[in-house]
Amino acid sequence: MSGFDIGRLVNFLSQRWETILSLTGQHIAVVAISLVIAMVFGIGLGIVVWNKPVSRSVTVTAAAIAITIPSLALLAILSPILGLGWGPTVVALVFYSLLPIIRNTVVGFREVPRDVLEAARGTGMSATQVIFSTQLPIAWPVILAGVRVAAQLTIGIAAIAAYVAGPGLGQYIFLGLSSLGSVNALNYALVGTVAVVILALLVDGAFVLITRYTTSEGLRV
Amino acid sequence: MSESTPTGILSTIAGAARGVSLELESVRKTYDGQASAAVDDFTMRIEPGELVMLVGPSGCGKTTTMKMINRIIEPTSGSIRLAGEDILSIDPDQLRRHIGYVIQQIGLFPHRTIAQNIATVPKLLGWSKGKIASRIEELMTTVELDPGVFANRYPRQLSGGQQQRAGVARALAADPPVMLMDEPFGATDPITREKLQAEFLRLQAVIGKTIIFVTHDFDEAIRLGDRIAVLSDRSHIEQFDTPANILANPANEYVESFIGLGAALKRLVLIPISRAHYDKEVPGAPSIEVSGSLRDALDLLVLTGASAVNVCDEKGRTVGSLSHATVSGALRAERQDEESV
Amino acid sequence: MTSPAAVLLARKSARRKNVVKQFVPLIIVVVSLGALFLWLSMLHLDSIEQRTLNPSYIIARVREHIGLTLLASALVALIAIPAGIIAYASKSKAFRGIALALGNIGQATPAVGLIILIAIWWQTGFFTALIAIVAYSILPVLRNTLVGLEQVSEDVRNSARGMGMTRGQVLRQIELPLASPVILAGLRTSLVFAVGVATIATFINAGGLGDMIVNGLKLQRFPVIVAGAVLVASIALLIDWLAGLVQEAVRPRGL
Repeated sequence: MSGFDIGRLVNFLSQRWETILSLTGQHIAVVAISLVIAMVFGIGLGIVVWNKPVSRSVTVTAAAIAITIPSLALLAILSPILGLGWGPTVVALVFYSLLPIIRNTVVGFREVPRDVLEAARGTGMSATQVIFSTQLPIAWPVILAGVRVAAQLTIGIAAIAAYVAGPGLGQYIFLGLSSLGSVNALNYALVGTVAVVILALLVDGAFVLITRYTTSEGLRV
Repeated sequence: MSESTPTGILSTIAGAARGVSLELESVRKTYDGQASAAVDDFTMRIEPGELVMLVGPSGCGKTTTMKMINRIIEPTSGSIRLAGEDILSIDPDQLRRHIGYVIQQIGLFPHRTIAQNIATVPKLLGWSKGKIASRIEELMTTVELDPGVFANRYPRQLSGGQQQRAGVARALAADPPVMLMDEPFGATDPITREKLQAEFLRLQAVIGKTIIFVTHDFDEAIRLGDRIAVLSDRSHIEQFDTPANILANPANEYVESFIGLGAALKRLVLIPISRAHYDKEVPGAPSIEVSGSLRDALDLLVLTGASAVNVCDEKGRTVGSLSHATVSGALRAERQDEESV
Repeated sequence: MTSPAAVLLARKSARRKNVVKQFVPLIIVVVSLGALFLWLSMLHLDSIEQRTLNPSYIIARVREHIGLTLLASALVALIAIPAGIIAYASKSKAFRGIALALGNIGQATPAVGLIILIAIWWQTGFFTALIAIVAYSILPVLRNTLVGLEQVSEDVRNSARGMGMTRGQVLRQIELPLASPVILAGLRTSLVFAVGVATIATFINAGGLGDMIVNGLKLQRFPVIVAGAVLVASIALLIDWLAGLVQEAVRPRGL
């Protein structure tokens, strides 16, 4: 077993910090791209179904079922079809992000007070104008909370995607596994894992700020 | 002596289905890190079967005072005696099983049916199943909840007023001699509240419990209380007297401001019609039953615009009439009576 | 105000709709397993594929997978729920704060990183996977237990205390039943999660259906990958479905 040595870790870090930064950048990029795509589809779908009981129930149930599928299973099926690397990773991350985003969009839209909606319609706005001027801004904090959950989820899943050559810090974790027994096995896995933890905590903190600055002042508590 | 042991005290209390006396002496509550006491030197004696209202603004310590009686809050110093026995020496859980407790939010257990809710304390006391079942039936009938309909319903399936009745039934389940009621009707709408108050008075006339009733609504205090304690900061008693005396002779400006405007009108609630000197029957005038109060009579006079209302007894026979003049005469006479006392 | 009878009726029809909805996952599982079987039986499997796609191999992997999942979840329940109750009953702010903070960091830790780290540190194999899953799931379940107990309405708790229930009685008769939906929801999540981690347990030689998936990827045999993926997804769905049924069945009535 390779023991832990702080001196060797420092040495390891100083030699590879550029790679680590670049992997971190990749990790952020793949999660960000996936979240943006998932937001477009998820919020869009949520807006379409939120007031239609049957479609709403079907959509949310489908997303809830989808999210139980183990991520390695999905990645394994996607990779023969989409190849290795970014393709299957982004598709899988979007897939797992949909449930929290759709669900929170539906909840957020349903929580918009009826009288506010009526007042908006009463001013003669079209349905689309009501969505963008009233419903979306009021539901926004709830939707963002869903995106935040999705972000936490996908940061972890992206690490597994390294098995199908996905980008990001997962590569170091698997490098640790494949070099099991060598001097740096522990350092690879440790640096990869801890970097993901730090990233996840930083992103979570960033969401607090994003929520604060993109939420209407009147809705802040 | 068995009376000096905790179980002895409990059996004394438990044996007395009707009210027992309750004394608080120099009771004080200080919270850690707070300079002034929340309740300061509170002394009061409550007679068996008496309904005492604690009235005061929010934050004056009235609820804290009440919660020290069932030791939800432990007093810092002082003594509290039930039927002459010190309650601070008894296990608080045992004590609470013999004191009925009703709070504004009711606190029915949402996962238990109404029957199961009412059975809570009897079960804790180890009653037999048969005794519990018949007690549930009896109590639900008493509070006008049809057992056949409501026994197996969950709290969620009841209206606010029905839930409040279930809460009262639950508090009465083990027939405790003392009841603590913390703004029990505060969360209901005015119409339901009035109805619950009337029911409650009827109920109390039968069961005769010793009741401490906390409210911030002075009108409720007048309507329900045998005696009212008007409290100010730190649960200081500004005046402790019958509703009539407080209305007639407020002890100070604080009490006056609490009574607010219309003290005379409020007093009319307390004077039965039968105390007035009737005039002769006025043909064609609206009529009112003798069991009402002078306030009811005045209401009718104002509402109908008539110059007089006829008073009829239980059998519907007219015994005389009342006018504005006789109503105010009765009020004046009442006042002089009190001042001469 | 809606009458109680109307509320009851509305609930009944909602419940009937739920019954239909409740069987959707089961139907999906049965249909996809059927389709998988049909598809595989139409294929001409080469010798490499046959080595994996035979009943005894599949049954052994499924057994390992479910065994790891259930054992880990049982351990989680046995450790995390009592710990949550103790954390709640102790009323210690420090303990609570530490549990919640660790819970957040735990959520942020990638399962694959944790499992590989423990394997490098200690050893590969079944017990490492077991420990990784348990370590990962304890905090969320503990947190749900704590939150579930804390969200019991103060009024209900006060009235229970005011009627003379002891703290133990309040906990057993009032707080735990009322918190049970939240606690069970946490356990259900951790069960589904355990199925997922049991899949990546293959990386550290802990068996399970991950073996099939990884073999398929390495040997570039699409039918093997699909079979492994559909099986493991079916297990996840079935376990989630069963847990949902249990959750519904033991949910205190009246809530």
